[in-house]
Amino acid sequence: MNHQLLSGILKSVSKPGRYTGGEFNSIIKDKEKVDVRFAFCFPDTYEIGMSNLGMRILYEALNRQENVWCERVYAPWTDMDEKMKEYGIPLSAQESGDAVKDFDIVAFTLQYEMCYTTAIHMLKIADIPLLSRDRGEDAPIILGGGPCAYNPEPIADFFDAFSIGEGEEALPELCALYAKMKKEGTYTRKGFLRELAKIEGFYVPALYEVSYHADGTIQAYTPLYDDIPKQVRKRIIRDLDEAVYPEKLVMPYIETVHDRVVLEVNRGCIRGCRFCQAGMVYRPIREKSPEKLCKLAKCLYENTGYEEISMISLSISDYSRIAELTDMLLEWTDEKHVSLSLPSLRIDSFSEELMKKVSSVRTGGITFAPEAGTQRLRDVINKNVTEEDLLQAVGIAFGAGKSNVKLYFMNGLPTEEKEDILGIADLGKKVVHQFYMTPNRNKARPVSVTVSVSCFVPKPFTPFQWVGQDTIEALKEKQAYLREAITDKKIRYQWHDAEVSHVEAVFARGDRRLSKALLLAAEENMMFDAWDEYFNFEKWMDIFKRADIDPSFYANRSFGLEECLPWDVIDCGVSKEYLKREYARAYACQTTPSCAEHCNGCGANQLGGKTRWCK
Amino acid sequence: MVQIIADEAVLYPAANLRIRFSKTGALQYISHLDLVRTFEKVLVRSGLPLWYSEGFNPRPRFSFSTPMSIGLQSLYELLDVKINKRVNYEAVVEALNKNLTKECLVMEAYAAQTKFTDICFSDYQIVIKTKGADEALAQKCEELLNKEPLVVLKRTKSGEKDTDISSMVRTAGVSLQDGCLEIAARLSVDNEKFLNPEYLVSYLKQQTGVLSGSLLEESYSIVRTGLYDKNENLFR
Repeated sequence: MNHQLLSGILKSVSKPGRYTGGEFNSIIKDKEKVDVRFAFCFPDTYEIGMSNLGMRILYEALNRQENVWCERVYAPWTDMDEKMKEYGIPLSAQESGDAVKDFDIVAFTLQYEMCYTTAIHMLKIADIPLLSRDRGEDAPIILGGGPCAYNPEPIADFFDAFSIGEGEEALPELCALYAKMKKEGTYTRKGFLRELAKIEGFYVPALYEVSYHADGTIQAYTPLYDDIPKQVRKRIIRDLDEAVYPEKLVMPYIETVHDRVVLEVNRGCIRGCRFCQAGMVYRPIREKSPEKLCKLAKCLYENTGYEEISMISLSISDYSRIAELTDMLLEWTDEKHVSLSLPSLRIDSFSEELMKKVSSVRTGGITFAPEAGTQRLRDVINKNVTEEDLLQAVGIAFGAGKSNVKLYFMNGLPTEEKEDILGIADLGKKVVHQFYMTPNRNKARPVSVTVSVSCFVPKPFTPFQWVGQDTIEALKEKQAYLREAITDKKIRYQWHDAEVSHVEAVFARGDRRLSKALLLAAEENMMFDAWDEYFNFEKWMDIFKRADIDPSFYANRSFGLEECLPWDVIDCGVSKEYLKREYARAYACQTTPSCAEHCNGCGANQLGGKTRWCK
Repeated sequence: MVQIIADEAVLYPAANLRIRFSKTGALQYISHLDLVRTFEKVLVRSGLPLWYSEGFNPRPRFSFSTPMSIGLQSLYELLDVKINKRVNYEAVVEALNKNLTKECLVMEAYAAQTKFTDICFSDYQIVIKTKGADEALAQKCEELLNKEPLVVLKRTKSGEKDTDISSMVRTAGVSLQDGCLEIAARLSVDNEKFLNPEYLVSYLKQQTGVLSGSLLEESYSIVRTGLYDKNENLFR
């Protein structure tokens, strides 16, 4: 955004520093000398988008291509949005300040379903036609990616193409194809998208016809042409040590959500919790070597000046060389006053040794996720932790001087009974009791246990993808029941909004027909649905009604095991057969061992890659 | 290239390194707290021999001469950094500039000889781009700013209240430059009497109706140009 021209406007909005660009380490190229101008959009605020690791990696991967200039775009906050509307200022990119409309490729990373309205709003304020079919030859190619692209169907009408899976290699390939066709003079929108659909990992929704049964379920996905794949297989990076990773980070001037060095130690998770989409879609599990990570960490520290290094992973303690890595890092980090943090710790691997090494555990509270209140239900979801594990873990934390513990649970998990809900209250009580049983506890501060309970949302490509979500009423009843069951004053109870979870479930398991609702939402200027203050349930219900959509058809209905699912057109590596087996084991209360113990034949090994565990 | 560290011997007590820099353009839109956060990282990645506080959570120590609110640019800003080794000042300037964008330019580094508490005044150049700016309006604005008492609604810790700021306006002249009103003001910035230059703008806005048009056509900028001690000598 041109801050000289717009200084009057910037002085009239909150946190203007998010709109000016010019950050240290941001990449500036000569626009006359590049073939492809790529706008990478994050459909949420600057503070959230700047913290996203995927976007940082892809910014690096794309800008390493000499002929591509990738810039960042974030959603303006509502006060800025109003000013832009008032003064006719279109959405622009951080680096050049040029209008997004004039880019070649405009990509959105879709991190959560509730960002859909914001993404579409960004198209609107960029002055780009919202629907793929309405875009002319001059319009940019609109691309979607990220975790929500595993079921791209609810937003299919708005996007020209989706990048499925990991984009480090796929996106430069897309750019190369674009540049080549432009150079040869063979580029047309249709021609390009048709060619793109032949590259592994790209899904072009317009090239598939969807037919429906009389009951509203999907009959089939049919490619319009013979050379278009029936199913789009996701892309993966074969060797993480060789994968692109930024050695510099764009340094925000204003405070962002995760303002630190992030080190991705591995991809995928060996556990296979049955509700968890990330645990399935990021398979196969690949690791970086401690040597590579240590080198990257040092480099990033020197180029950023961040004094905190966060090692991120779906389950860091399952990284096979965690002790080696932390030891190697501690060789230099302590002396440089750099602290290490681990955001996700499993209850059963929480040790005193690890706790000592890691600062985030040294300061502040500590969080554990038992997810369910009874062993039976934890077996159903394949969490594979026990009450003993939890009490031991909190005991270690209390013994080390902690007095704040947060516990994450879910309401509405398949087969949940009253007993399981009481189990949540009971576990909370036992954790409080454990505090008083810990001899060297911090006697200066009172114990505080937070029980935070979200609502289960069935997600595509999980063993629970077929399961209908509890109705809003059922969820609210369960929440009320738990509220009454928690009597201990030392336990703080937090719960998630059941209405948000309901709409999230609609879009998570939705199909193409939902685009109609999203178009109505765009007309109503809806955005920032991930923000409590902007989520409006009544408005959503009204929109579904006007679009002739029954939300319960998507959220609450149990899908048939043989039904054609909206996301069947995507192949995430994990086979449907495996998911069905896991579904059956869940209802039989049978747990499944982790990949480290036993290969369960999920199918992701078919994708290849240098994996630690796969056969 | 000259090394930053001139001597490996550890200094005790820590020395005060003073850095003079500018903060212009897009950087006017970040808050004082964000500037603090930014410099913490800049100092680390520049490789300065930072002194860290002792104790449970060691932190580098540095402080800014005067707080800078959002919207304020400066050509004369000072920062004191505690260091534990002797440094080559030119190398410090070079290293810092390599780690900053051009809108934040370090001009000088030297051993601090004075205390920030001795700063009493700051000069500002305020440019108001507004419709109807002419000699008469400039003169009217100058009269208004030199009025006694000069009452504005001032934000304080205990809420908003009418305050006479005339004693905090050391001098204020208004002239017409390229069709804009240009205010040259020397304002009080000591601890007891700190006047944010924004008050002058909002006062004129309220009194004369300047800056009431389109945000695209009307705007203003405030640039700090110097800091002074109680005798009105340039503070170094």
